[in-house]
Amino acid sequence: MSLLGADYRRDMGVHNYPVLVYALTPLAALVLQAWLPRLVRGYTWFDLPLVVTVYFALARRNPIQGTLMGAGMGLFEDALTHHAIGVNGIAKTVAGFLAGSVGVRIDVENHTIRTMVTFLLSLLSSVIYFSIYRVLLGLNLEWSWLTELMKAIMNALIATVLFPLLDRTRVGD
Amino acid sequence: MESFFVRYRNLLVLLAILLAQIIGLAMQVRHTDTGRNTLDPQDAPGVRLLRLWADMVVTPPERAFHASRLGLVSSWQDYIDLRHTREQNQDLQKTIDRLRLEQASLLEDAKQGERLQALMDFQQKYIYKTQAAQAIGSSGSDSSRVFYIDKGADYKLERDMAVITPDGIVGKVRDVFPHSAQVLAINDQTSGAGVILMTTRIRGILRGNAAGRPQIVGILKDDRIQPGEKVLTAGGDQIFPRGLPVGVAEKVVTDPDRDGFIDVIVTPAAHLNRLDEVLVITSTEPRFPAEQQQDMATSEMLKGGQAAAIAEAIKEQKKASEVMAERLPGLTDPNAPPQTPAAGTAPGSAQPGQSATPAAAVPPPAPKLLHAQHPDRFTVGTGLPQSAQTSAPGDQDKKPAPKAGLKPEPKAGLKPASKPEAKTGQKTNPPPAHAEGKTQP
Repeated sequence: MSLLGADYRRDMGVHNYPVLVYALTPLAALVLQAWLPRLVRGYTWFDLPLVVTVYFALARRNPIQGTLMGAGMGLFEDALTHHAIGVNGIAKTVAGFLAGSVGVRIDVENHTIRTMVTFLLSLLSSVIYFSIYRVLLGLNLEWSWLTELMKAIMNALIATVLFPLLDRTRVGD
Repeated sequence: MESFFVRYRNLLVLLAILLAQIIGLAMQVRHTDTGRNTLDPQDAPGVRLLRLWADMVVTPPERAFHASRLGLVSSWQDYIDLRHTREQNQDLQKTIDRLRLEQASLLEDAKQGERLQALMDFQQKYIYKTQAAQAIGSSGSDSSRVFYIDKGADYKLERDMAVITPDGIVGKVRDVFPHSAQVLAINDQTSGAGVILMTTRIRGILRGNAAGRPQIVGILKDDRIQPGEKVLTAGGDQIFPRGLPVGVAEKVVTDPDRDGFIDVIVTPAAHLNRLDEVLVITSTEPRFPAEQQQDMATSEMLKGGQAAAIAEAIKEQKKASEVMAERLPGLTDPNAPPQTPAAGTAPGSAQPGQSATPAAAVPPPAPKLLHAQHPDRFTVGTGLPQSAQTSAPGDQDKKPAPKAGLKPEPKAGLKPASKPEAKTGQKTNPPPAHAEGKTQP
């Protein structure tokens, strides 16, 4: 992981994407997240909205955009569940914020860094989700850290594949 | 103040969003009487609105995905099925083709088996020795109507041997090779076979014409020859045995070369263009089948047995005659000398130097009648002159055998002593003609 100076980071250009990519990629992530578990028979060991959130947060190097995207994606996910709306929102908001904040400080062009960031943020998102559920809301929730670990690994793998594909949609590279 | 928001705007935005969500969560959680928190089963209007929006956003794509998936899966499954179906179809088609080939092969084998069976039956029943052969090739030219068979010198085939089928004659062996032979068909222009029309008994020479059809040439014009008459081999060509079917007279045409002569176009009995199996007559020595040979042996044995039976019957007849002669003393002369083998033969029948007639052929002795005690004109031997009566030469020496209680008595008018009586009796009863006939060859 190569750390960069703040001036250098600001000098680096922010990647831009077509509007359709901005609009359709999160939408596709949400839809696939809701649709793919039907195909994999319940093995929902991935979190596509989180991966997309991390990607755009890293690519845009903007914590606010990462926060907003994370919040929107999280709320959307919550809206599709029967759980309280806002738990995923908070977790992904934090993850998006951190991704956007880290993207300012690290070389986000490195696939390994992005994969590691995705892995860590997945675990953090799970921790936040669990914390909110159990601590903030005081609700009972069965939890399996192995599942969350597997989910983090799977998200990292998905990021390994998905990020280069999304990189090809950049504008002005 | 403005610089604070600008400097910490990221955190402020984060906190604001988090705070909003926490407030939202707080609004969704209800504290129960048991002191435990729980989610409100009935969503608040705002929460429901969010869920509705999310559903509106996600559902169409999901439906599209689902439909696409169904279509994709359906297409994929259909493709898989079609692919399997196509493979199965190809396999079945191959199987059908293979079965068709096998069926055709079996059918051909069956036909060949039938032909061979007919050929074998004919070969077994045919009086001459034959060798079955397969037609394996032809000359490939219409001007040379020869074909090749798969038997040659190795099967002792020779030139000019007749080649036939159960239907009729085919041709003759023109050339013999070590393992094959060339057969000249009867429809070749250079062939020749002596034939005869079955009904009219008109003979001619059969050979092929330019069209490859056999015809009988060199026949004087005869109105009796009609289409449909059967043509047989005449047997005069020293190749084809006589009596083999050649074909049927199809039509009669005038010989273009010679006036007063006609040619008879013959439809060959054998399928000359579709020959598969033929028989080569390898020997014209009559060869009787085992059944016929057995019949012949049985016939010979019966002949011998019949002769023996006849001899035995004659012997039995003689024995019966002797027994009868012993039991009838009035009919036999006890003083007569024993019969000699030549006694029964007619005079002059035994030629000098010839052996005597066997005892079995000796006729039984003629019975002798007793002399009548009161002869009248109806008495035998008194009404007819002796010269008009015949007697067997051997019987002249015979005397009636005496019998107890039946002593012969001489009568008046008759010659005394026994000899004249016996002569009288002999005159009245000549020996049976059939007995004489048997003794005189």
